[in-house]
Amino acid sequence: MHAFILAGGFATRLWPITERRAKPLLPLAGQPLISHLIDRIPKNIPITVSTNEAFGEDFEQWNKNQNRDGIKIVVEKTANDDQKLGALGAVAQWIKQEDIQDDLLLLTGDNYIGFSVKDFLSHATPGVSLLATHDIGSKEQAKAFGTVILKEDGKRIAAFEEKPKEPKSTLVSTGCSLLSSEILPVLLEYAHEHPDNVGGIFEELLQRNIPIECYHFEEPWFDIGSFDAYLEATNKLVGDNLLIEPSSEIKNTDHNGAIVIGAKSTVAGSSLRNVVIFNECKIEDCVLENCVIDNNCTLKGVDLNKKMIREGTNLNQKL
Amino acid sequence: MSRPKLLLIIWFISDLILFQVAFAFAYFLRVGFILSSDFPFNKFILITSAIAPLWLLVLSTTRTFSFTRSQQTIRNTAYIGYSVLVGVALFSLGYYFTYEAFFSRLLLVYAFAITAIGVLVWHILYSKIIRSALRSNPPSFPTLIIGLTRESKKLIETLNAKKNPLVPVAILDGRGTKEKEVDGVPVLGKLNKLEDVLEEKKITHLIQCSDLEQSINLLSACRSKSITYMLLPSVLGIVERDEKIDSLEGLPVTTVKPNKK
Repeated sequence: MHAFILAGGFATRLWPITERRAKPLLPLAGQPLISHLIDRIPKNIPITVSTNEAFGEDFEQWNKNQNRDGIKIVVEKTANDDQKLGALGAVAQWIKQEDIQDDLLLLTGDNYIGFSVKDFLSHATPGVSLLATHDIGSKEQAKAFGTVILKEDGKRIAAFEEKPKEPKSTLVSTGCSLLSSEILPVLLEYAHEHPDNVGGIFEELLQRNIPIECYHFEEPWFDIGSFDAYLEATNKLVGDNLLIEPSSEIKNTDHNGAIVIGAKSTVAGSSLRNVVIFNECKIEDCVLENCVIDNNCTLKGVDLNKKMIREGTNLNQKL
Repeated sequence: MSRPKLLLIIWFISDLILFQVAFAFAYFLRVGFILSSDFPFNKFILITSAIAPLWLLVLSTTRTFSFTRSQQTIRNTAYIGYSVLVGVALFSLGYYFTYEAFFSRLLLVYAFAITAIGVLVWHILYSKIIRSALRSNPPSFPTLIIGLTRESKKLIETLNAKKNPLVPVAILDGRGTKEKEVDGVPVLGKLNKLEDVLEEKKITHLIQCSDLEQSINLLSACRSKSITYMLLPSVLGIVERDEKIDSLEGLPVTTVKPNKK
């Protein structure tokens, strides 16, 4: 088996905090989002991370800091959003280049999954693809994902709809699937026509009467696709706690909710509620609520609510 | 020296000359085309020359020398009229206190009228020269438009039609519009391309037309690169054109004072 993590997106909806970093490298509760994913994959499974030219070096650097061998970074020859191969196109290209014949554990690098991949794999029937699903609890929210309808046995998937306008189910695909080696030729064929549509492969398999099973989990799952989703994930994972790097300092500051402070940052005389502060920031006399502050920002005397602040921003309110 | 600086210096010098020529013309119109010994021309032109820089200073406080300002407006005409009035008053005081002598009041009326009309006409003509010079390739003020809305489209079309020195060269849209261009200006993508566009297009001005939540970040990018940032009031929900930037005990505020119905 081989794990393949899709990390080639440009994350335009999370601008500006993804201006200079890939979404899977966003810090989430103290470590990069993709590291949470890696931690859950059994160590005997080799991992390939597919990214683009713009972030290739960043992933190589991240890989050097991992306490794990067997992670390979492959770089799509795309430097911006307009030249993307497409997620499924990237998978297909890699399968062809590496002549992959094994089962494939396909993961999306911008999803946080709370379950153990080992447990997920233990539910697989040999030769049958498996899709991890989560009950999102709202048909309105389900519109943004691939939805799944199960057969009566509660395990086999009867139908899959990618981003339906009228969802028939609140069970959604979560960016984690096991693709049996037998279906890889179908994937290659489908990717040729639909290089962007990862979810579409499941619709295609069902249309060809190739069975797919469902692994339903209750553990947390977050698709970090927007500012709200990023804050929500941080709030759920950190809780009502302060997570601060040893090289940082916080003094004379009221804080509640989830607070994450990266390396070499100082916070003084401020009030914080649900705030993520990246590295080397200086925050003084500020009231921040539901904010994400990128690296090297200096904020003094400002009140901000629900803002993502770009790297290197200097705000000094002179009253 | 940059094109804008050179054009501004020429503008200042030409205005100084124009002020003195207009006053000299008023002198000859009133006194006749002779060199009077009762009211010597050399004394008259000496005071005019001394007053001219002060008049220019007064005129510059009205921001009439702003490249982006249209010269053909009532407000601009009023500013020029006001500055020339101050210039005439300064001349009267200067001449009286220097030579302790009175002179024709009609001369002052002539000086005011000729100078005001002369300066206004010259400014209208010169602004056309400036706009043409500043827009020629490469434009002096390449401008980035943020947000593709009906208003921003109209803004781009107006800037191009009126040959404003601010030349829209690129559009970024946070929502990711499918439109490829507006009035010849290309849509280059979403805000994640901001840094590249600012660098590649050598942007000097950025006009925010939507995406209010990103104001701080756009301003931050502008500050770090010394780019002039502009914001359409409609981004703040002010759409009736009755806003003005004011001051409240020294703190700047945007004031909207609706007209009484």
